[in-house]
Amino acid sequence: MEKLTRFSYFLVLCLFAWSSSYAQKKTVSGKVSELESGKPIPGANIIVKGTTAGVATGSAGEYTIVLPDGAEVLIFSSVGYTSREITVNGRSVIDVTLEAYVQSLKETIVVGYGVQRRSEVTGSVSVVSGRELEEHPGFNALQSLRGKVSGVKISTNSGSPTGSNRVVIRGIGTINASTNPLYIVDGVALDNIETMNPNDIQSIEVLKDASATAIYGSRGANGVILVTTKRGGTENGLRLEYNGDFSMGRLARKIDVMNAKEFMEVQRIGYENAPIFKNYAPGQEPVIDLSDRRIFDAQGNPLYDTDWQEEATRTALTHNHQLSIRSKGESGAFGAFLNYTDAEGIYLNSWTKRASVKLVYDVSLAKWLSLGTNTTITKTWANNVSETGGGFHASRAITEVPPIFPVKWPDGTWSNSTEISGFTFEGQPNPVHRLLEEDNLVNGTRLFGNLFLDFKLASYLQFRSQVGINNYLSEDRYYAPTDMITVGFPDGYARISNGKQTYWQNENYFTYAREFGSHRLNGVLGASWQQNLASGNAMSARGFTNDFFNFNNIGAASTQNPSTSYANDWSMNSYFSRATYTYKDRYTATFSGRMDGSSRFGKNNKYGFFPSGGVSWLVSNEEFMRNVKAIDHLRLRASFGVTGNTEIGLYRSLATIGSGTTLIGGQRVARSFAQRLPNSDLEWERTRQFDGGIEVTMFNQTLLLEADYYSKLTYNLILNRPIPTSTGFGSITDNIGSVSNKGIDLKLTTRNINTENLTWSTTLNFNYNKNRIESLGLNNEDIFPGPNWVAGSQTILRVGEPVNSFWGYERAGVWGSDEAEEAAKVGAIPGEAKRSTKKTIIGKGIPDVTGGLFNRFNIGRFDALIDLQVSLGADIMQQFLATAEDRQGLTNGISTQLYDAWASDKQNTMVQQIRHTVLSGQNLQPDTRWICDGSYIRGNLFSVGYNFGQRMLATMGLSQLRASLSLENAFVIHSKDFKGYDPESSTWHGDNFGQNIFFYEYPKARTLTFGINVRFK
Amino acid sequence: MKKYIFIITALLMVSCERFLVEKPKSEQSLDQFFQSAGEGRSFVNTLYKSGATGFYDPGGFTGSIVMMGGYISGLFDNEAKGERIEPLRAQNLSFNAQNMSEYLDRWWSSAYSAIAIANTAIKYIPNIPGIPDVEKNQLLAEAKFFRAFNYFFLVKNFGGVPLVTEPYFNTEGIYVDRAQIGEVYNLIVEDLEWAVNQGNLSNNNFVTNNFRITKGSASALLADVYLQMSGYPLRIESNYAKAAAITKSIINSGSYQLIQNGALPEKSAYNVMRTSDKESEYVFSIEFDPVIYGVSSPSVSLPGSIRPPGLKYSRTYNAYRPTDQYIELYDETKDLRVQNQQLFFKSVDVQGEHFEFGEYAPYLFYDTVALYETARGGQDMRVYRYAEMLLIAAEAIAFTEGVTQEAVKYLTDVRARAYWNTSRNVIEDQLSVLDKEAFIKEVWKERYRELALDYRLWSDIQRTRLYPVGSAGGNVNFVDVVGHTNPWGATYQEHHLLYPISDNEIQRNPKLEQNPGY
Repeated sequence: MEKLTRFSYFLVLCLFAWSSSYAQKKTVSGKVSELESGKPIPGANIIVKGTTAGVATGSAGEYTIVLPDGAEVLIFSSVGYTSREITVNGRSVIDVTLEAYVQSLKETIVVGYGVQRRSEVTGSVSVVSGRELEEHPGFNALQSLRGKVSGVKISTNSGSPTGSNRVVIRGIGTINASTNPLYIVDGVALDNIETMNPNDIQSIEVLKDASATAIYGSRGANGVILVTTKRGGTENGLRLEYNGDFSMGRLARKIDVMNAKEFMEVQRIGYENAPIFKNYAPGQEPVIDLSDRRIFDAQGNPLYDTDWQEEATRTALTHNHQLSIRSKGESGAFGAFLNYTDAEGIYLNSWTKRASVKLVYDVSLAKWLSLGTNTTITKTWANNVSETGGGFHASRAITEVPPIFPVKWPDGTWSNSTEISGFTFEGQPNPVHRLLEEDNLVNGTRLFGNLFLDFKLASYLQFRSQVGINNYLSEDRYYAPTDMITVGFPDGYARISNGKQTYWQNENYFTYAREFGSHRLNGVLGASWQQNLASGNAMSARGFTNDFFNFNNIGAASTQNPSTSYANDWSMNSYFSRATYTYKDRYTATFSGRMDGSSRFGKNNKYGFFPSGGVSWLVSNEEFMRNVKAIDHLRLRASFGVTGNTEIGLYRSLATIGSGTTLIGGQRVARSFAQRLPNSDLEWERTRQFDGGIEVTMFNQTLLLEADYYSKLTYNLILNRPIPTSTGFGSITDNIGSVSNKGIDLKLTTRNINTENLTWSTTLNFNYNKNRIESLGLNNEDIFPGPNWVAGSQTILRVGEPVNSFWGYERAGVWGSDEAEEAAKVGAIPGEAKRSTKKTIIGKGIPDVTGGLFNRFNIGRFDALIDLQVSLGADIMQQFLATAEDRQGLTNGISTQLYDAWASDKQNTMVQQIRHTVLSGQNLQPDTRWICDGSYIRGNLFSVGYNFGQRMLATMGLSQLRASLSLENAFVIHSKDFKGYDPESSTWHGDNFGQNIFFYEYPKARTLTFGINVRFK
Repeated sequence: MKKYIFIITALLMVSCERFLVEKPKSEQSLDQFFQSAGEGRSFVNTLYKSGATGFYDPGGFTGSIVMMGGYISGLFDNEAKGERIEPLRAQNLSFNAQNMSEYLDRWWSSAYSAIAIANTAIKYIPNIPGIPDVEKNQLLAEAKFFRAFNYFFLVKNFGGVPLVTEPYFNTEGIYVDRAQIGEVYNLIVEDLEWAVNQGNLSNNNFVTNNFRITKGSASALLADVYLQMSGYPLRIESNYAKAAAITKSIINSGSYQLIQNGALPEKSAYNVMRTSDKESEYVFSIEFDPVIYGVSSPSVSLPGSIRPPGLKYSRTYNAYRPTDQYIELYDETKDLRVQNQQLFFKSVDVQGEHFEFGEYAPYLFYDTVALYETARGGQDMRVYRYAEMLLIAAEAIAFTEGVTQEAVKYLTDVRARAYWNTSRNVIEDQLSVLDKEAFIKEVWKERYRELALDYRLWSDIQRTRLYPVGSAGGNVNFVDVVGHTNPWGATYQEHHLLYPISDNEIQRNPKLEQNPGY
């Protein structure tokens, strides 16, 4: 930064004093022109680097400058263009092209229903280009977006290739409704973009404040992510491009699981300690039995020392191919985008594949009519390995299955943790067995597309009618084999479920854009219909005589479970409008609003109106700013508006009767019951948001800052409000309660070095968010929303606290030998955890600060990226410590249970005395021992690329060839108290408050990727 | 053409009201429901597995909710109490309205959810068009039975709870004060008397009635209710006579019998209870089935330290271990029930291997098919057995009529089955000479011994306010529970006889007052 500051001062100095040049000997002349158009740039500045000497170009962009002795470098700059440093190298004529600075005044960005000049957008909108997304090789577009937009928190909570990412924009503002943003792809709503081919993306615009999102009304409160995909050729002729990458991933970090020797030591001490916990008649104390010769040698030493983390993981190989064919002809443009990706996870047999074809055709049918269409067919296949550890999944078994078992017995059968005499371990299949032999195949087929007609009614008036469709078919097939203890054992289990979703929308809108002298008016007015129809069915059975059929002949099983089916739908009808007025290219006001009707809501409240307003002042266009040369661009924005959230379960406003079966008289008989207390007044959850923003560009685009302060209040929460359980219902879905999020989004870019052969820029995306529950039900009752686990809900909702507050006991330490009397009062003995008597808030799962720091370099033909990501202020609830540390003997665990355990000569520790669960019980409760600081700094991506030179390309007949190498997840710096794999995780997927709470996560990989990009002539 | 295309598309901007009407397909709306007897029946069917009947499945580390009485008495232990702390808090008497709140919330929400289903059924079933009277009355009787069953659980454990008898359709009137204990009992008695007298319930045995509520089932619950009302806190002693009358009607109906011992020890009556769900001793049981509706009881029948070969469960633990103090309530030389592998066991042989536990575990749950073959339990949980009816009759008759031959006979029936090497005459002679108070205490002792796994222990302490203290040879002293210190060193105070009202529930309903002492 110091360097930057000095450089900036220097520039300012130059700008104010360039006329004071002095006598020279050698001259350089030439012409300065625009890169895109080749048009000359008059008034551009040329300065001799390291001096105050400089000149300006004439009306034809021409210049002549006298070089002082020893001067080597010239700096070319002009308002609206990116400046360049050029080494003279003895030349006397230097023609220079300048690239128009991206935030040029006329630049447009995609907003809801159309585009707007960036300088007229009164809302907070962040843009990420497809190029920036492509910097990050990967299967999932959301992972590529991570850290690139301030205020958009993307949590990658698992290392699974099918793992889902959680996206929260500007804090969690809801309790029982979804926190997901609305995704709009080419104007069509899509539930998520996780399986979308990231390479199809041209740009992503994130709408964050009310002025930007109000046009999406009732679905805008969580923010809107607009995805624009690539279209056909822009230049005449054919263009062919191939991108490929190949990667290798390895387990990024192993956790400190005990080896066979350490495990047996815990067993031994556990037996030795047994009399501390229970009275045994003399001579009746339990004695360790090492006589099982399958496991122990004659001396009682374990025969095997299996490292399950090693055995169950692998080098994950992934390859990804992208081919694009684009052409442009007289009347239309065509594009075809093909993708095939085969991605492996680091767990054995964890994989996903995707094939997708996207076809684009844009054609002008008449002078007044054009048509565009865009269809994507995506097929995905996966073997979905569980991302949680519960239910003895592999993530748990790699820690818990004792290392004294082999992967397979000498006779070739799989081992499990019950196959030992003399010991009782928790029965778990070994993780290698589970990964290789359990099938959970998930196939998806998505047909997604749209077609629009544009009518040019006048030069200033257009009408668009667009139809979009999202059709998704899924098929899940599961089989657990007969020999897999606790899973398929003893007679196998098969399940097939099918789902079908058909979503369609039709939107029709007028777009108006007209200038009258210094006045400019833009507007949108339209209507929208949306409907979603979903249905599905499932069958399952157990009782197979062998594993031959797998899930392919469910009828062959002896015990058929009842088959199930469902069908539901929802619909929306909306009217929307936006009007933007700009005066003298300086003052802009925007009003936008949407009237939404939704089937989800009570018959008394079907329609809701969501208005917003915003103003913007382009200060840098004012007369008085003309002489403030340091500032290239300065704009102030403010907006206020109301948006909504409709994403609740269906039929919440109705009294309905649920049905199923139950057991009476040895038979299945029908049963039915009232589902809920109806609320026919149920309506939208509303979010009121103020946003104030500043955009400033200084010192010839050397420093770019965009900062926003926002204050959001979500009220009329769609809350499952607690009511007396004596009603027969625990809650009623009601509009009550409020949650606030206040914070700052900041994006700062500095161009630290900008010379011909070396550029270095730094971008910081930063968000600070403070979340607070302002009010809850009628009596501000505490709510325990889950996730439910040991001792109940792991989080609490309480007024004055942030959501996602962890709920548990405080552990002050371990009861000491001299505290026996005090311990006895709570039924404990020395060596057991010393906990508070009441539960309290012991941490929170959401961070205060998140950010990404990107350093980009161009050195000759090389380019490089350093992408660091930061999260501060969140805590982690390490649920796995319940069984990996607090509960001993029944399974394997982490080494602290051996090395840090309390003993009479080791009083001062947090870890309880070794206690063999099966002999002596256990003592575990969610407490502060499980909590650690969840702040981290991640080396998210390091990459380097090389662009081959023109001469080389010419000989190969290519127009571009780039090779790159990148390292993803290179390191994570986190609290030393964190014992798991990765501090950003959750094993409670889909739970609004499950972030940073985990019971054995799917670990993340460190991945090395080689990529190639070829553009054919 | 331009004009036409434009007009056609522009037409799409017109609204349509019906577009937004919600029409559920996988759920029915309430106003379309209760149109047929079958719909009414399906509503009542739900009650068989709702609320307090669900408190019998011992699944999960906490043990079943009905086991809490055993824990709070200190006479039973749960091996997994370090993982789910409620049993520990019960034994230590360290529970309060905060630290038990989430657990107690489950009791209330389940029981009241069943009560709401019953209330809805009771309101709508009479209006079902064309429903025959007999069927209508049977369904109403079943609904009232379950409403009473759930209120009985609540009133015993919490005292006067809010009395809700109508279903809710909106939030009007949801804040209800606690009723008097007597008012809750009045509704229970009213419901059950209606069910017994007007419910057209079957006079058959519960099992032959296909596990649907019989007149006997409703009478059994009513007898239990009368007995409980006779003691603390209401002490309406006139109810003893009613209890005597209703149990006599069950006994005299001839529909129920005690299981008789077969070849001992494997074919004892207690082993038959373990292995057979279809016996005429069962007056009301909660059905389970390995396929349709499983039960987790096998997994809590073996101590965790034991892993016999071929065990199909990933883990077992002894969730209801009788303490030495409980075992002392039995005469270990005479009483079959306390012998190994009757009600309890302390060792077992599997595939020729012998396993000593070093403690007792509930043998009644030891389901070898589930444990060693299928990993799926299907054994029913018995709520009322004929043996209990005999014991209620003996106690109630003794109280109202004195130690009659009839009273002696009923108590002897139960005891003689257990005292396998003592002749019936000897028992009868010993009992006949007792005075009323001594005889009633013999009934109580027999209840502890016979109903150990029917979970009557804490209810008996609640109604008698006496705590059983055993000593060698099955001698039992009854001492005042208040002031008594249990085997875990905790001393009972009067307030421990009721649980606290959960703090969360009080937040939800500010009209609720906490029980004294919490």
